[in-house]
This record gives sequence, C-alpha cells and structure tokens, in this order.
Amino acid sequence: MGERIAGEPPQRPAGQTADPPAPLTAEARGRERSLFPDGAAKHWLLASIIWLTVVDLFGLVLATEFVTPEAFGGISWLSFSRVRPAHVNGVILAWLTMMYFGALFYMLPRLVGTRGMWSERLGIFCAWAWNLMYLLGIIGLLTGHSQGREYGEFIWPIDIALLVIWSANVVNILATVAIRTIRPIYVSVWFFIASPLWLAVDYAIGNVIWHPGHIWGAPSGALNQSLSDAMLNWWYAHNLFGLWLTPMLLALTYYIVPRVTNTPLYSYTLSLISFWGMAFFYTGVGDHHILQSPTPAWLKTIAEVSSWMLLVPVFAFTINILGTMKGNWDRFFTNLPLRFTMTAFFFYFLVNIQGAFEAIQPFNKLTHFTNFVVAHAHLALLGAFTILGMGVIDYIVAQIYAKPLWSRSLSEWQYWLVTVGFTGFFSVLTLAGFQQGFSWQDGIPEVNVLPQLHAYYIARGIFGAMIVLSGIVQIVNIGMTIFSNTAERRRQETLRVAEAIAPPPVAN
Amino acid sequence: MADEPERQGPPIPRGWQRHPRERMLITPLMAGLGGLLAFFTVVFIVVWLPIHTFDPPPSNDWAPLSNAALKGRNLFASNGCYVCHSGYSRPQDVREALYFLYPKVSQPGDFWGSDQSPNLLGTERTGPDLSQESGWHPPDWQRAHFYDPRYMDPLSLMPDMKSLFSDKQLDELVAFVEERSGKSGLLRYAGTLYGKHVVLVNQGYPPAYRGFQGAHKPIVEADEKSLKPLSSQLEEAPNLSQIDRSYWMSGDPLPVTEQNLLRGKEVFLNRCVGCHGLKGNGKGPGASFLSPPPADFTDPDDACCGGDTGPGDFYYRILRGWPGTAMENFGDRLSVDDIWRVVLFVKTIPNGTLKPNRVPEPRDYIVWQPSKELRAWVATHQRLADNADFDKKMASDPYVKEAMHVFPGLAPGDTMKLNDGKTELSLITAAAGIKALYQNMLDRAWKDAVLRGEKLPNLAQKAIQPGVPGQQ
Repeated sequence: MGERIAGEPPQRPAGQTADPPAPLTAEARGRERSLFPDGAAKHWLLASIIWLTVVDLFGLVLATEFVTPEAFGGISWLSFSRVRPAHVNGVILAWLTMMYFGALFYMLPRLVGTRGMWSERLGIFCAWAWNLMYLLGIIGLLTGHSQGREYGEFIWPIDIALLVIWSANVVNILATVAIRTIRPIYVSVWFFIASPLWLAVDYAIGNVIWHPGHIWGAPSGALNQSLSDAMLNWWYAHNLFGLWLTPMLLALTYYIVPRVTNTPLYSYTLSLISFWGMAFFYTGVGDHHILQSPTPAWLKTIAEVSSWMLLVPVFAFTINILGTMKGNWDRFFTNLPLRFTMTAFFFYFLVNIQGAFEAIQPFNKLTHFTNFVVAHAHLALLGAFTILGMGVIDYIVAQIYAKPLWSRSLSEWQYWLVTVGFTGFFSVLTLAGFQQGFSWQDGIPEVNVLPQLHAYYIARGIFGAMIVLSGIVQIVNIGMTIFSNTAERRRQETLRVAEAIAPPPVAN
Repeated sequence: MADEPERQGPPIPRGWQRHPRERMLITPLMAGLGGLLAFFTVVFIVVWLPIHTFDPPPSNDWAPLSNAALKGRNLFASNGCYVCHSGYSRPQDVREALYFLYPKVSQPGDFWGSDQSPNLLGTERTGPDLSQESGWHPPDWQRAHFYDPRYMDPLSLMPDMKSLFSDKQLDELVAFVEERSGKSGLLRYAGTLYGKHVVLVNQGYPPAYRGFQGAHKPIVEADEKSLKPLSSQLEEAPNLSQIDRSYWMSGDPLPVTEQNLLRGKEVFLNRCVGCHGLKGNGKGPGASFLSPPPADFTDPDDACCGGDTGPGDFYYRILRGWPGTAMENFGDRLSVDDIWRVVLFVKTIPNGTLKPNRVPEPRDYIVWQPSKELRAWVATHQRLADNADFDKKMASDPYVKEAMHVFPGLAPGDTMKLNDGKTELSLITAAAGIKALYQNMLDRAWKDAVLRGEKLPNLAQKAIQPGVPGQQ
C-alpha cells in the first residue's frame, strides 16, 4: 500500500543535464527508492520496450511481404493476413498501452503526492498478467484464432481477461487519487482518471463481450446485424485512439513539457477545453471510417461534423503547449526527451488536421481504402504516440534509476532513425495512396496498380527497417543504463578531463 | 524591475490576475463521472440510436449462406482475409464502361441476416473487393489461386494459402467466395457451373481435383473415347457457342508489326504464363488444378486452321473470359489494343517466340484462314441474320439472360449436340439447367439457415427472381 507523504513531491534530478551529474551515494539512491518504489512503472515500461520491437518486427514482415509475397512462403503463422492483426493489436494494446500505463504509474504518485501507487504489487501483477494474456492473444492470432473484427480480433476469453486486468488498473488509479495528499489535481490526472474508464467501457461495448458465441471460433463478439456490427466496430476502433491513446498523449505531454522546461502550464482554461472537447467530440467520429458504406446518412453527418469539431480541443491543446514552450525552445535542441515529445506533438497536430480532411466526403472518396489511410494511421500511432513513448521512456528510466542514460549519442541515433524513418515511411505511403486513389478513380482495377506501387513498397520497407532499428537502439541504451553504473563512469570521465586540462603542478 | 523606484502601498497588478480557485477546476469526481457522462451522452446518439433504429429489410438480392459457405466465412474472418479485401462496393466503384469489375453498389439490405456477422466491410483494398466476386471464377480457378495466387495472376501480392488450410477448409472457403454475393451472385455461379458442365462433357474431361490435390497430380486428360461428335455438325460448334458470332470470322485489326508483337509478348508474360506456361504449351504451374486444362498454343495447325482459333475468337475469350473454364475476363484489366496485341503474339508462339531473348517478328505470325467447314457452318447454321430479336424479346427472364452470357453465340432458335454425341445445347436447355442449379443452391442454403435456427425473411423474398446487375 502506498503511504501518504506530506507536501510537494520532491525534486528529482533531471534526465539530461549540462553539468556532469554528481554521483548519487548508495544511501541517497536508497532514500529515493523508498520514496517512490516505481515497481509497477518499471515493469510496464520495460516490457513495453520489448513489445515495441516485437510489433515493429511484425510490421517489417508485412512490409517485406508487400515487396516479395513469397518471402516467408510456407510458414502459416507469418502469413500476411495473420501478422497484420497481430501488428495492429500489438501496437495499440501491447506497446502503447503498456508504455502509457508505465508512464501513468510513474507520474500519478508524483502528481497527487502519494508514496507510490495505492498498490504497487497489484500494478506489478497486472503487468505480468497483461503480458501473458497478450502473448496468448498474439499466438492465437498467428494460428488463425480471431474474431475477425478489425482492431477487436482477440477471441472472447482474452477479451475478458484483458478487461479484468484493465479494471484492476483502474481501481489502482482511482484508489491512488483517493489517498492523494495534494488536493488540486493537475490536468494530466484528469486524463489519468477519465481515459482508462472510457476505454474500459469502449472495449467492453466494442467487443460485444455479452455475445461470446463460439468461444474459440470466429463469430464471437459481434452484433447479429452486420451493418450495425460495422458501425459499432468502427466506433470502437476509432475510440481506441480517441479515448485512450490520444488523451494519454495529452496527459503525458502536459506532464513532460512543463516538467522539463520548468515552466507552469500556459493556461488551465485551455486544458479544460481540450479535456471536455475530447470527451464530447472524439466519441462520435468512428463512422467516418465507413462513409462510403450503406449506413445511415445522419450518422455519417455526425461523424463528419465531429471530426471537424475535434479541431477545437486540438487547437486548445496546441496553443497551450506552444504557450508553455515559449522562451524554452533552446531545450528542444538540448533535451532529448523534450525533443521526442515536441516532435510527437507536431505529428499529433498534423494527424488531426489530416484526419479532419479525410472525413470530408470528396476527399474520403479519393483516399478511402488506399495506402493514404495506412499513412494516416502511422502518423498517429508511429509519428505521434510511439515517438512520444520513446521520449517518455528515456525520461522516466533516467529518473527512476537516478542516473543519466548510458549513451547520449545512442539516444540521438534513436531519435534520428525513428524521425527520418517515419517521415520517409509516411511520405511514400501518402504518395502511394494518391497513386491508388487517382488510378481507381479512372477505373483502373486494383491489380493493375500493384506494379506501380512496387517502388513505394520497397522504400517503405527500408524506412520501416530504420524504425525497427530505432527501437533496438533504445533497448540497448535502456538496458545498458540499468545494468551499468553510468553516473560513476561519467564522473570518472569528468575527472580525467579535469586532470588533463589542469595546469601542471609548479615545481618548487 | 530593479530599476523601478520603490513605491508605497500595495503592488500594482501586472495584467489580469487569476482567482486562486481557478487553478482547481476539476475534481476527480468530475473528471471521472463527468467524463463518463459526456461519453455516454455521445454513445447514446452514435451507438445506441443507430443500432436500434437502423434495421433495413432484406434486399431482393439477399440470400442466406449454406453451411459450407458459413464455415468458409468464419475461416475468412479468423484468418484476417478482410485486411486486404473489402466487403462492399461503393458508389464510385461501379462504372458503366468496365467489364465485370463491380457490377452493383452494395445495398443496406444485402447485409441482412445473422450469417453476415461479424461484419467484413474491411478497411483497405490491397486486393479487389470481394462482395460481388461470386461466379466470376469457377471453383478450380479458386483452388489454384488459393494454393498460389501467382499461378492465376502473376502480378498478385496475395499470400499463398497452401499452409493455412486443409483440403476441406479450402472447399469451404471456395463455397463462401462463390455464394457470398446474394442471388445475383448465385445466378452467376450457376451459369459458371453450367458452363463448366458443358465444357467438360463437350471435351471429355473429368471434374477438377478437390482441395489442394491438384498440386500433386498430373494435368487432367481428356477421355477421347467418350467423344462421338456428330458428322452433321461442325466439331468446334459448341465452343463457338460461347463466343459472340460477330467475332467468329473477324481478323486482327492491328497491323503485324514488331512493336505490337513485342507488347503482346510482354503482356503474355505478365498475365498468362501461370496457366498457359512459359512455353505457351498449357503446362503452367497452375495447370494441374484446372479442368479443362489451359489451352496449348504451340500447335501450328491450331493456329492456322482451327475452327475456333481465329483472332476474333481469341480476342473474345480474353475480353470476356470463357465461362466454364478457368479463362478469366481480362477486359477489366487490359486495354482493347493490348488484347489484340496478345492475340497477334499468340499466333507466333508455334514459331518459338516465347524463348528467352527472342524478339517476335512479323514473319513469325501465322495467318489464320477460316476452314471450308467453318464457312459452311456459318453460312447454314447459327446465322447472324436470324438474330434481330436476339436480346430484346427474352431479356426479362434472368436465367435466359445468364444463359446468353454463358453462350453468347447461341441464337434463341439454335440447338446443337455436344461432342459426346447426345447432350443437347440450346438457350432453352441452358436456361433450364442454370435455373435448376440456382434453385438447388438457394434451396440448400435456405434449408441450412432454417436448421441453424436463423431468422429468415418470408418465402416471398425467396421467390423473387435474381437480378442480373452490371454489363453482361
């Protein structure tokens, strides 16, 4: 059980400082640990880094199969149609969700002034259980056990298990907030409270968990009426982003930017707009995925209007963060976690503008079903959420272990690999999407467009490999940070430098 | 600040001051319960309302799935096929000028019935939409294509399915693909099956291998003993009945130039070699799945003098396909000129133009001459002149329409015997046969759905005749 501590959370050493860090004595480190055990945060975060590379590798398998469909011929569990759901589910609910929970378990005690979460052990148990269930779910998908509803592919028993674990996390969060010592709750905490609640309901409704069907077969977890099922499916799928991934991006950015720049948040009123705007407008956009389908026109109208109204909370958030960054842009270049965060912030802004346009009928007609949509999805999940997650992990690991990252240049490599890789990836897929869209508009059938896409697919594979490499670089860097005494090494280096530049002793 | 002289009294506020309470704007209760309240308000509008108010009745085209097709549907869903193949054709997909691509826009009522759950609408089209796929390809084409899609379409990106499914599962998957498009799809499939029946009987071939068996078996061979062609009838007449008669005698409109031949070779290598083989001898890797097997183009006698191997015949078969065989309609993929170029090139294959690095030249081109027998047959039977009322009088009956699609060379009055010497072929028998196949499949699916305990529309819906959407 976490204990109450009085007053403000203690100041922690920043992850990247210009000065060589002072060596932390064993007692000091012990004191830090006892103040914030961070056990749950560590488990969720470290597991998430591994998952990032796993799901990245799934993506690389898919990219390879786009170039040479027979690359893994004969291995049924590497078949495109099975790996793709594993890739998508893994990105959303393994890598990003675990990263978010880890960050939440780190930030929440500091924001509400408790000594760790209400129950660190529950958090650790949930991390293990989530990993296990995820492994089972992914193995299920790769062996052809799927519900066949996009983004809701996991079979019913896994759905239930995930929901139970999720609920335990929600209880842990709410109990931590209940025992808080700092009465006013910061913006990030609003999202920490509301967002897991939203997603729990979204997941339960979206996966139709009251309809188990054939427990091991395909038709579980779906409404009987096919078009209703589609509307529900896409409402659910979009709210994975709208009510979980995006609010958590906001929460983490609201934490990281003021913390690293040591600047109070620009405006609480704008935070209010971003919170309530998100709750009202994001919930209703799902139907814009099926604007060309035979579903009710009024629902499409709501989805289109909501997609545009969404720009209100987005701009509120944007102005708020830019206002906070005012006068602090030098740190964008010197502080790597902040650079990751602000890069993600930029891509997040872009994806919302792009999404609003995609929800307009004529533009949707052109880009629907093409690679443009794939590019858009990666702009959100890779450009915004993943890059943010990388920065947040770099920041938090340095804080938890109270030592700087093992290698700054590896961090730089990680940043540039993922940023350049993603930008190239996004660009080629957008171009490929227009190629498809305009060709289809001219009545050219899908198969005739494939040879024209070949070059794009090769480029996508190369850029994708850069992204995979970025994740691996992070694993190495974080692993070496944990298992080596970086602070001592840095101190020795500094001493050596000091010795070298010291004036020679004057002989008497 | 430091420069300012010190003042007496309270400090002058620098700009608008916040009330301290404004920093505490939301309580946990408000964030949690208020957030959920906002969420559920919208959920009521965008989830509860549409689900409880949107219940379109079954469309006239709707049909249930048979048990095998339903099992195939579950395989389709649980193996993620929907990630590349969408399940509805959008308004912008349906185009008048295209052959067969997407014959109709999906209607709300097409998705009626619990055997359509979970939804398979899909989100991306790496491959084509499959909602209207039924009947465009015969089952043997589907099996070869599932085994390795490159066999049937060398440009395809689809993963091969040979390691994913057993023979039984494959046949279920094929059943789903062939029955998923409602009544109009069933009718098309019935036409394809009837065409297959006619072609097999006429040429003496056994049925194709089941499942993936074709991968391990030799190419099927014709049983010549079963063939007793009538002496009073042109031997190729049943084949010609599947080609519009205006093409029977037509020549190639393009000049025989090296450029045209080279382009023809390029297209041939891009599209045709999976079945017809790199040597053009009909022994491509996919050939052993197919019955009848793919055509052999290496025989110079066929090229110059066959009764149904004229340039127009080839052109028509490439353009519209050959219902009953695995020959597809390439009219939706190749331009008219390219098809004629392929026809030019095919006529050079007996001279070895498919060898690597061999540029086909105009002197390789074998000129086709209609034989005396063919001229006589065209002059005396199946005359164009009798066809003034060809498509106007009988267009209302969907089974006759479908029969006319499978046998475009038959006029209403034409009757002939297939080459087994006894089976009769005419538009009337074809329409009856197609109707029987269609009715049989619909009855079986209906019975299966009743036994599964599904909600079904009243029998009046079942009795509505199928439509024949799109350009035929």
